[in-house]
Amino acid sequence: MKDKNNENKADPCLPGGLVPAEQWTLPQTSVRRSLKDAIGHALKQLQAEVSQAEEPFESMDELPELSSAQRKRLAPEPDYSDQATAIACGLERARTEGSLSREVAFLVAPPFSGVQQALARFPEPGQSGSIESGGEEWAIISPPDALSFDDHEANEWWDRQDLSRPWVIPELADFWLRRLSGLALVKELFRRIANGDTGVGIVGCSSWCWRYWGHYLENAQMSPWTPGPMDAERLGAWFTYLASGSGKSTVIARMTGDGYYVLPLAETDENEKDKDSKKRKYSNFLRDLAATSRGNPGVALAIWQRSLRARPDDDTKLEDADEKTEKQSQTADCWVVPLERLSLPTMPQSKESVTGFVLHGLLLHNGLDMASLEVVTGVSTYELSLVLSRLKRAELVVWEQSDERWRVTPIGYPTVRRHLQSWGFPVDQF
Amino acid sequence: MIDDLGIKDAFASITGQALLQAVLVIVIASLIMVAVQKVLPRVAEKLGGKPRLYLLASVPLLRLLIILATIVIVVPILVKPSFENMVAIFGALALALGFAFKDYANSLIAGIVTLYEMPYRPGDWIEVDGQYGEVRAIGTRAAEIVTPDDTVVIIPHNKLWNSLIANGNDGTDNLMCVADFHLEANHDVSRVRELLRDVAFTSPRTKTWRPVLVIVFNKPWGMHYRLKAYPFDPKDQFQFISELTARGSAELARQGVKFVSVPVAVD
Repeated sequence: MKDKNNENKADPCLPGGLVPAEQWTLPQTSVRRSLKDAIGHALKQLQAEVSQAEEPFESMDELPELSSAQRKRLAPEPDYSDQATAIACGLERARTEGSLSREVAFLVAPPFSGVQQALARFPEPGQSGSIESGGEEWAIISPPDALSFDDHEANEWWDRQDLSRPWVIPELADFWLRRLSGLALVKELFRRIANGDTGVGIVGCSSWCWRYWGHYLENAQMSPWTPGPMDAERLGAWFTYLASGSGKSTVIARMTGDGYYVLPLAETDENEKDKDSKKRKYSNFLRDLAATSRGNPGVALAIWQRSLRARPDDDTKLEDADEKTEKQSQTADCWVVPLERLSLPTMPQSKESVTGFVLHGLLLHNGLDMASLEVVTGVSTYELSLVLSRLKRAELVVWEQSDERWRVTPIGYPTVRRHLQSWGFPVDQF
Repeated sequence: MIDDLGIKDAFASITGQALLQAVLVIVIASLIMVAVQKVLPRVAEKLGGKPRLYLLASVPLLRLLIILATIVIVVPILVKPSFENMVAIFGALALALGFAFKDYANSLIAGIVTLYEMPYRPGDWIEVDGQYGEVRAIGTRAAEIVTPDDTVVIIPHNKLWNSLIANGNDGTDNLMCVADFHLEANHDVSRVRELLRDVAFTSPRTKTWRPVLVIVFNKPWGMHYRLKAYPFDPKDQFQFISELTARGSAELARQGVKFVSVPVAVD
C-alpha cells in the first residue's frame, strides 16, 4: 500500500510511516505465488504425519551463509532508537494534522515489527529529534512483577503510576494474563483512558493482544495506529538503509540463480541515470518477501538474513547470461537465494490443540515463562516441556535468556500464524 | 405384464459384452466411491478447522455425482436409450421398488433429498430421536453418527420426513456450548454474570470472536445461570463445558457464592 500522506515524510528507518490501523493492507503478490503458498501449506499439513523430520530450516543449496560479521554489515538489526524518534515524529505530525486527536495514542503492530523495542527507547527530552510534550518528560510504565490483581488492587496500582505527565507503555501484552485474576490491570487502564483520567500517553500493543481485547471490550473504540506495511519498495529502501547506515551508499544484492538484481532498487538506479542500469533485470524477490512476511519488517529481515549468501552457486551461469554486461558481472556485495529454495520452519506433527494453545498463548502475551504458560493454557508443565522442546527444535519458538521467556521466532512466525489460522484460532488482522 | 411394459424389447439388445462392460463400469465406480469415502475423511482429519468440514461435506456430494455418472454411462451400454425403453425400464423399476422395497426406497429417496437439502452433513453434531452425536458418514440409505460415548448409531434417512432433527453447528465449526450453574439466591447478580463471562474469555478453548453470553433465570430455589460460548473445535464441546463448569464453580466458591444443595427438579 502506498500511503500518500506518509510517503514523502517517512523516515528511512520507518519507511511506511504510521497509518490508521484500518488503512493497513496486505502487500500484494502474484496469483502464482499465492496459489503456490496455499497448495504448499495444504501439502505440508498432509505430509506432516508421513514425514517425521524435524529439520528446522532447510536451505536447498550448498552456499555458505554469511558470517556474523558479514551479516552485521549487510543485514544488521535495526537501531530502535531511530525508530522511536520516527514514531514520535509520526505521532506528532498526526496530532498536528488533526488526524490524531486523542490524548492516548494506541500503536498496534504485529510481533517483530519493532514497535515495542522502539517505544521502550522512546526519546527523552533534549535528545536529538525528540518530542517534548508541554516540557514534561516521557515516563515509561513497566508492568508489575506479578499480574494477579483484583479490581481494587488494580485501581490502587494505577493510582501509584504517574499518568499526569506524558507516559509510554511499550507493550500492553505484558500487563495481563489470560486468567481470571489477570485481566484487572488492562480493564482498569481502558476504563481510565475512556474516562479521560490519564494525560497524554502512548500505548504499544501486540496485534494479537489487541484482537483479544477488542473482543473482550466490544464497545471500546480506540482508533489505533500502526506502522505502514512493508511492500517491496519499502523493504528495499529499509534493507539499504540498514546496510549502509545512512542510506547513501549503494548495496548490491543479486539472485544466485539468474543474477537478477534485488538491490539497489530499480527506482534508485533510474534516479542515478546510470545508462547500464537500464539494461539490468530486476528480481521479484522483494515483492515475494513482502507478501511472505505480510509486510512485517522483523519477519522480512529474518528471512532476508537467511537468504543472503557470500558467493553465487554457479558463476558460469552469470557468464553465459544473455543480458550480461560489464556492470552485471561485477562482484556483488552479497547474493540472494530465491525464496523457493529456502524453506521456512515447518510445524511438527503433534496434538494440534495443545500446540495451538501454546503458540497462541505465546503470541497473546508477547512471550511467557513456563509457569505463566501453564496457567494460561491449562497444559501441564510436563506436557509443555515436550511441546516446547519440539517447537524449539523446529525453530518455531525460542527461550530468551534476557527476560526468561519463551517466544515465537520471527522466522517461524509466518508458519505459526498460518497454522493457527487453519486450526481455527483467532489471528490478528495483520 | 413384462411384455406389456416393453421390458423384454428393451433388454433384447443386451449382449454378453455389453453386460461385461456395464459390470466393469459399476465396479470402477464402486471402487472410486469407496476410495472417496475412505480417503477424504482421513485427509479431512489431518487438515482440521474449516477445511475439514468442507472436505467432509463434499463426500456425499461426490458420491451422488459418481452415482449419476455411472447411471448415465451404464444405461446406454445396456439398452438403446430410446424414449420407449427408458419408460419401460424406469416404470418397471418403480413398480418393483414400490411393492417390494417401499421402506428401502423411501430411505433412498430421502437420502437424495438429504444431499440436496443438507439437513446434516458429515462433521455436524445432530440429535435425532434422542440420539446425539457427530455425523460420521452419510450412506445411500442411512447416516451414521458417533455418540460422545463412541457408539455408532445408524439413522435411516426417512427419519427426515417425520422426525425433528436438531443440528448444533449446521455445516460450520461454530457450536454453542452451555454450562449451567444453579446458585443460591441473595448474591450480586451483575458481579456473577461478569465473573462467568470472564471464565469463558479466559478459557484457551473459547472462540472469543463469537458471542459470550451469560443468561440468568430467577427460579423458586435460587438463580439459574447459563454461560454460553463457542469452543474452537466442536469435538471439544464436552471438555469445554467441563472446563467452564469447573473453573466457574471454583471461582464462585472463592467469591462465597453458594450452589443449591438440595435436590431440584430441572425441567
